[in-house]
Amino acid sequence: MRPKLDCLKGWLFLLLATLISISSFAQTKVTGKVLSAANNQGVPGATVQVVGAKTAAITANDGTFSIVLPAGRTRLEISSVGYDNQEVTVSGPTVTVTLTEKSNTLNEVVVTGYATQKKKDLTGAVAVVDLGDAKKQPVPDVNDMLQGQASGVSVVGSGQPGASPVIHIRGFNSFGNNVPLYVVDGVPTQNVADLNTNDIATMQVLKDAGAASIYGSRASNGVIIITTKRGNGRPKVSYDGYYGTQVPKGGNVWHVLNPTEEGTLLYQAEANYNTLNPSSPTPLGNTIYGTGATPVVPDYLVSGTVGGVTYSGGFAAGSTAADPANYNADPTGTNYYQIAKANKSGTDWYHAIFKNAPIQSHNLSVAGGGDQGNYLFSVNLFDQQGTLIETHLKRYTIRANTNFKVGNRIRIGENIAYSSIDNPQANGGILVEGSAVGFSMRENPIIPVYDIGGNFAGSAPKGLNNPRNPVSIQATTSNNRGLAQRIFGNVYGEADVLKNLTYRTSFGGEYYAGWAHTFTIPDYYDAEPQYTTSTYNESSYNGGDWTWTNTLAYNLTKGDHNLKVVGGMESYEFVNHNIGGSTQNYFSYDPLFVNLTTGAGTQTNYSNSNGTVNSTTVIGAGETLVSYFARADYSYKEKYLIGGTFRRDGSSKFIENRWGNFYAVSAGWRISQEDFMKRATWITDLKIRGSYGLMGNQFNALSTNSYTLYSLDKQKTYYPTVGGTGSILTSGLALTQIGNPAAKWEQDGNLNLGFDLTVLKGQLTVSADYYQKNIKDLLYQLTLAGTNGSATVPAYNVGKMTNNGLDLMITGQTNITHDLMFNGSLSFTTFHNVIKQIDANGTPYFDVDGRRFNGSYIVRNAVGHPVSAFYGYKIAGFWQNQAEITAADQAAQKASNGAVTTYQADEGVGRFRYADGNHQGWIDASSKEFLGNPNPKFTYGANLGLTYKGFDFSVFLYGVYGNDIWNNVKWWTDFYASFPGAASSKTALYNSWTPTHTNAAAPIQDAVNGSNASTNTVPNSYFVEKGSYLRAKNTTLGYSFTSAKLTRIGITHLRAYVQAINLFTITKYSGIDPEISVNQMGNPPQNATTDFGIDEGGYANPRQYLVGLQVTF
Amino acid sequence: MKPKKYNLLIAAVALATLGCSKGFLNKQPEGALQQYQITNTAGVQALLTGAYASLYQEGDGNTTLAGTGTNAWEASPSNWIYGSVAGGDSHKGSSISDQPPIVPIANAQEISSNGFFNDKWISLYEGVKRCNQVLATLAISPSVSDSMRTEFTAEAHFLRGHFYFELRRCFHMVPWIDETTTDYNQPNDADIWPKIEADFTWAMDTLPAKQPNVGQVNKWAAASYLAKTYVYEAKWAQAKALFDQIIPASYGGTGAGGVTSNNLTYGLTDRFEDNFDASQKNNKESVFAIQMTANDGTLSIAHANGGDMLNFPYNSPFRCCGFFQPSVDLANSYRTDPNGLPYVTDYNSHGIANDQGLDSKAPFTPDAGNIDPRLDWTVGRRGIPVHDWGLHPGNNWIRDQGSAGPYSNKKNLYWQGNLSTYSDQSTWAPGSAINLLVIRFADVLLMAAETEAQLGNYAQAEVYVNDVRVRAANPANILYQYNDNANPLNGFSTTPAANYVISPYPAGYFTATTALPAIYFERKLELACEGHRFFDLARWGIADVMMNAYYSFEGKITGDLSTGNFTKGKNEYFPIPQPQIDLSNGKLKQNTGY
Repeated sequence: MRPKLDCLKGWLFLLLATLISISSFAQTKVTGKVLSAANNQGVPGATVQVVGAKTAAITANDGTFSIVLPAGRTRLEISSVGYDNQEVTVSGPTVTVTLTEKSNTLNEVVVTGYATQKKKDLTGAVAVVDLGDAKKQPVPDVNDMLQGQASGVSVVGSGQPGASPVIHIRGFNSFGNNVPLYVVDGVPTQNVADLNTNDIATMQVLKDAGAASIYGSRASNGVIIITTKRGNGRPKVSYDGYYGTQVPKGGNVWHVLNPTEEGTLLYQAEANYNTLNPSSPTPLGNTIYGTGATPVVPDYLVSGTVGGVTYSGGFAAGSTAADPANYNADPTGTNYYQIAKANKSGTDWYHAIFKNAPIQSHNLSVAGGGDQGNYLFSVNLFDQQGTLIETHLKRYTIRANTNFKVGNRIRIGENIAYSSIDNPQANGGILVEGSAVGFSMRENPIIPVYDIGGNFAGSAPKGLNNPRNPVSIQATTSNNRGLAQRIFGNVYGEADVLKNLTYRTSFGGEYYAGWAHTFTIPDYYDAEPQYTTSTYNESSYNGGDWTWTNTLAYNLTKGDHNLKVVGGMESYEFVNHNIGGSTQNYFSYDPLFVNLTTGAGTQTNYSNSNGTVNSTTVIGAGETLVSYFARADYSYKEKYLIGGTFRRDGSSKFIENRWGNFYAVSAGWRISQEDFMKRATWITDLKIRGSYGLMGNQFNALSTNSYTLYSLDKQKTYYPTVGGTGSILTSGLALTQIGNPAAKWEQDGNLNLGFDLTVLKGQLTVSADYYQKNIKDLLYQLTLAGTNGSATVPAYNVGKMTNNGLDLMITGQTNITHDLMFNGSLSFTTFHNVIKQIDANGTPYFDVDGRRFNGSYIVRNAVGHPVSAFYGYKIAGFWQNQAEITAADQAAQKASNGAVTTYQADEGVGRFRYADGNHQGWIDASSKEFLGNPNPKFTYGANLGLTYKGFDFSVFLYGVYGNDIWNNVKWWTDFYASFPGAASSKTALYNSWTPTHTNAAAPIQDAVNGSNASTNTVPNSYFVEKGSYLRAKNTTLGYSFTSAKLTRIGITHLRAYVQAINLFTITKYSGIDPEISVNQMGNPPQNATTDFGIDEGGYANPRQYLVGLQVTF
Repeated sequence: MKPKKYNLLIAAVALATLGCSKGFLNKQPEGALQQYQITNTAGVQALLTGAYASLYQEGDGNTTLAGTGTNAWEASPSNWIYGSVAGGDSHKGSSISDQPPIVPIANAQEISSNGFFNDKWISLYEGVKRCNQVLATLAISPSVSDSMRTEFTAEAHFLRGHFYFELRRCFHMVPWIDETTTDYNQPNDADIWPKIEADFTWAMDTLPAKQPNVGQVNKWAAASYLAKTYVYEAKWAQAKALFDQIIPASYGGTGAGGVTSNNLTYGLTDRFEDNFDASQKNNKESVFAIQMTANDGTLSIAHANGGDMLNFPYNSPFRCCGFFQPSVDLANSYRTDPNGLPYVTDYNSHGIANDQGLDSKAPFTPDAGNIDPRLDWTVGRRGIPVHDWGLHPGNNWIRDQGSAGPYSNKKNLYWQGNLSTYSDQSTWAPGSAINLLVIRFADVLLMAAETEAQLGNYAQAEVYVNDVRVRAANPANILYQYNDNANPLNGFSTTPAANYVISPYPAGYFTATTALPAIYFERKLELACEGHRFFDLARWGIADVMMNAYYSFEGKITGDLSTGNFTKGKNEYFPIPQPQIDLSNGKLKQNTGY
């Protein structure tokens, strides 16, 4: 990658040098005044720029200016913070310019489905994102930008570079894919990870049916319309960049014990067992801490066999076992002999893998245009090292947008972007056991990172349980490589067929390709080595989709009547191909040597045409869609607004019910235009709106959903009939997928009521919406009776769900003093999701996410409850003594007429007593309760900004209120018996139940019998915590330099800023980060919709400190 | 001007409409086959192979056939959990918190929502489904020749019989699904033993004795499985008629006896260990074996005892994971009296010295008393050679003695000497090419002995039991010390590793009172850790007595049996998985007591 960067730098330099060297000739002097439209007062500090020259001036306190026009130049561009830019042509020696405040957005043109509308004419619920605020986040992903910036949009991210956050609009619309449809310059896509956020010109979120139904089949999850920038005016070169550092959370983040304390806990847990089981006591101590009366932290940790004698555990310095002569990091593992110096002060595993890391972004664009056409070119480098070692995102994007007029009636153009992404993410995922993060809370701190020979140390010495060395998990990926490339865009043509009739055709889509390779080597230093041989994997994929849209638009204004009609058709096709393979057993581990052919061992390969990128799953199919649609918007006297849309979609995923019809009607009334409102002069504009319509979804059906399929699978259907010893397998077949040819479109019935209010001449605007969504025919992969076997079950249209909620957006701005301006916005989002039906004829719930609670699950998605609700036993307290247990048992026997003998399974002194949720008198599976809800009651974002002369200061606060988090980290750290010998928490030692500490947090620590249904083997309320938080996402202080000197050298805009991201977080949550995203790499991959809010070691959002520079020539 | 524009428009719309020609929305699946492609001989043959593959009960990536998110061991065809751990010949092993759902199964405290049962259930029905697919597809494949049709049908019936046999003995009342069933929600209101008999009978009547491939089932495997079915049903007369034919005259039968698929007349191998040595598989003792391979190109251990991947000594060269540890009760059973006979009732009073609670650093001397040599091919214990891997170091190879005792399992261990051929190291825990013996000839002999004893033919019963004991007494079964403890690959010495004393029962020993207990005990010794014990105890009707005695003895030694309590009339069967009852809309009824 490096040579490419250098090459790029050279080009950019050349380009800059050329542009700066442009110079000017003869001159005329012009004086003038810049006024504000709101109060007709002069605007101070506005920049007056001669178009096509580098001459510029700044207005005085009364708004006056004087400037010298070079020969041949007649146009001025005036810009000022808080106002829309304006260009004027100078026709005399004086000129007066009136600027319009930005907040007065009623005439702002909003791009909606296949059309544009003025904001005042909108009848649907459309959130127009304030890109000024959104772009302050130093994030490469559009979705991250939206967090807290648009009401009705929920975004949950993580600190992992390149990990797209989980986004959903207005609650949940299906049990599966809830990703909105993005329409970028008219091209629908679900992938915007590589969209350069600097290129975005406008962004609108279409939330209700009135706005979104025109996208029918794919609108159910909401639609986000994005347009990218176009050039206008004189050529402008802009640079926008920042550099900063990211700082992971400090301190003892997992609250783990040091090695001495670990020994103390071991002895305490053994003593506790012996107290409870006097007849069969366990000897005190273990192989690490010795078997003396008190624990002894050993000098060395040893594992291996020498001279026929096996040593495993802790040993004192000078012992035979710890003799360095025995050390042997045998790569074959046969004679592996590990000696590591015990880290008596304790290894901070978290900070062994999480480090400060740099982040930078550089964006350069050239834009300009005139009557005949316009252009924009941009290049961007985003380079974020992850705070977790060996993770990063390095992304290059290049964009070229051009538009041309051919004669008076025809316009053609293209928008195209290329991206190249190198993005190694956390090995093994996040939020799951098995990742480096997950092991950093488990690896005993007595283990050093490296052994005496400089190789990785690990848990192989007996007594340390089986965690893997977290550093090695990440460090061994350092030679893995991968690259993803994508071209996305469209070409279009528009022709004015008649005076009011415009035909438009757009052909667009994406082509992508990528590859990756990984190499794993043996890890004999761990107690349970994952690999005993070296394995190389390589995969490659490519594919793309195209969408061809043809529309005819008719626009008629006659007197008080205005009618806009659009009709058209669209077709879409998607294909993808994956190929890959692996080989084992390498002579050398040198990354320059290893590839698919140089390994000595078994070679495998695969290829498929699967919808999932990089999938090794065999079965797949291409996907096609065909759609016909129309919309009409009518307004009378700009007061009464009515709109309607209709769309008919056909999908290749369906056979018997291929076509679906979607429609919406909407209406608006601008009350403020009525005569009786004229007296309320403080109201600038008031509109009430309503809409009802139907949106669809088909994401949750596999492309092959309709087909019953048989397939071959070496692991599942092959058999060595001949009884051979090696690779003699006979090919076999099995029915692996059941088809449902009757599947049809999901239907999302959507009611929206809202109003838009602008008061005080635009100083304050309020937009509020209440919505109610009834979704039916949800496609869901039902669980069939086990007698069906285990073939993949197709999606059936069985589910029902409702969402309702309130979206509220308030924006305001005011001049506090002449120089000091305040602006602010508040977004407020609520949703209330209820599952209404999963399968009318089957189980009214489905459970997911068993973790180490094998057989019972953390999450129950049940009728009458929201998605992903936590479910288990509610803890009522501790069993304080045997008498309590005996009394409870007797009561239980009585209540059950002797059917049960004990109140609850595995009850014991110091263990949890569960609440009798259903009041039956004893505890069994039916006593489980809903323990928490990861869905927040509301989320909110507040942008607060102050500008004073050249200074600007802003704060963006984001908060989540009322959600619960399942803190599964505690399962590992708060129960000694969960994994004896692995790391434990301060809670386990200092705040667990003992006869003298009965008001404890954790139950009694019991080395032998501590894992049971009354402590940690069933999901219970111990793990549920409040997840509310308020975070200062962004604090920025900037200064814009304005001086004639700068103007003279061609700089029209120069701003420098410092920024702090995630400066502080206020929360009661005890984990490292209350913003819990979703693990998408586990087995099975967790579903962002039906299984979220579970923390098992996330990739926390780091604090970031940045300095940035924006320059325009 | 205007017409020109219209032309453009018409052309564009026409082009756009091309996109919606009828074929555009038809996207055929790739990488898989549809039914019309497999209704032929090759297709049915492949479906049958797929049915064989379901014997592993294993899916992709160490899962069960029940699918993603499950673990191979939950449905291991070895039944190490449901047969051995539940029957007390072994502990779950590892530490108590590892795979906690096994703990209640070991303690007879299982509940219907335990996910292991659901995965076992679904995996077995997937096996049934694959057999039914063979039969159903055959019915619509007219091009298949009559001879192939007969063969396919018979093998499918055999395999289906196997899966239903497993379902019946685990879950008692289970719904019957066959190739004609269209509604898969069937009640479990009828005992399916007769249908299982019918499947095996069909197979026995139509399959040939010799098969082209050793992995294919034959007539005699079907006869043996049918006999086993009769034994489970206590249909002793029917069972005897079959055993008389199956067992060669040299072992006490009436005729030439049965043969394996590769045409070896049934018999006992000289070495007991040959049954658990991958290099000796498909020998004359192999009546019905699931064929295991290592390094078969799948880069997985799906065909290499993946379901038993956890069952190797901990912190050992085998890496993972310290599960499936033989019980102290089992080890004590191998004590022999001065006459070389077992202590059938009071073996725990003659216990074998072990290193429970002892660190590997502390000295320990192995037991010097009389021991049945099968102990040291079954139980790994401190100070005794473990194949060619070295002396068992005791505690160092045990994850948590306090939880599961001092022993480790031996029957599933591969040898270091042929490691590269018969072990598979491609995944995080090892696999091996040791065949899984669903029925071996020693099992047949002991079932025949039981049958004869039930019919009052005690002398004949003793003949069969002594066949098994005579083989155990063969000097080939003596485990010797190493030549060099530091170099275990350097062969064995001529010094026995322990004091092995074993003899057949003296003639006339078996009587109405002694025969059955002796036969039951012999099954425990011979078939230990092979997944039989629980099912044997259950069908004998003595599971409550035996298991509760086990809990009170073994529970004092280890921490994993603290809740053990076997309820007669309930725990002989596992519960119907709760999710299946929920899915059945009331059609499935739970077993008694759950």
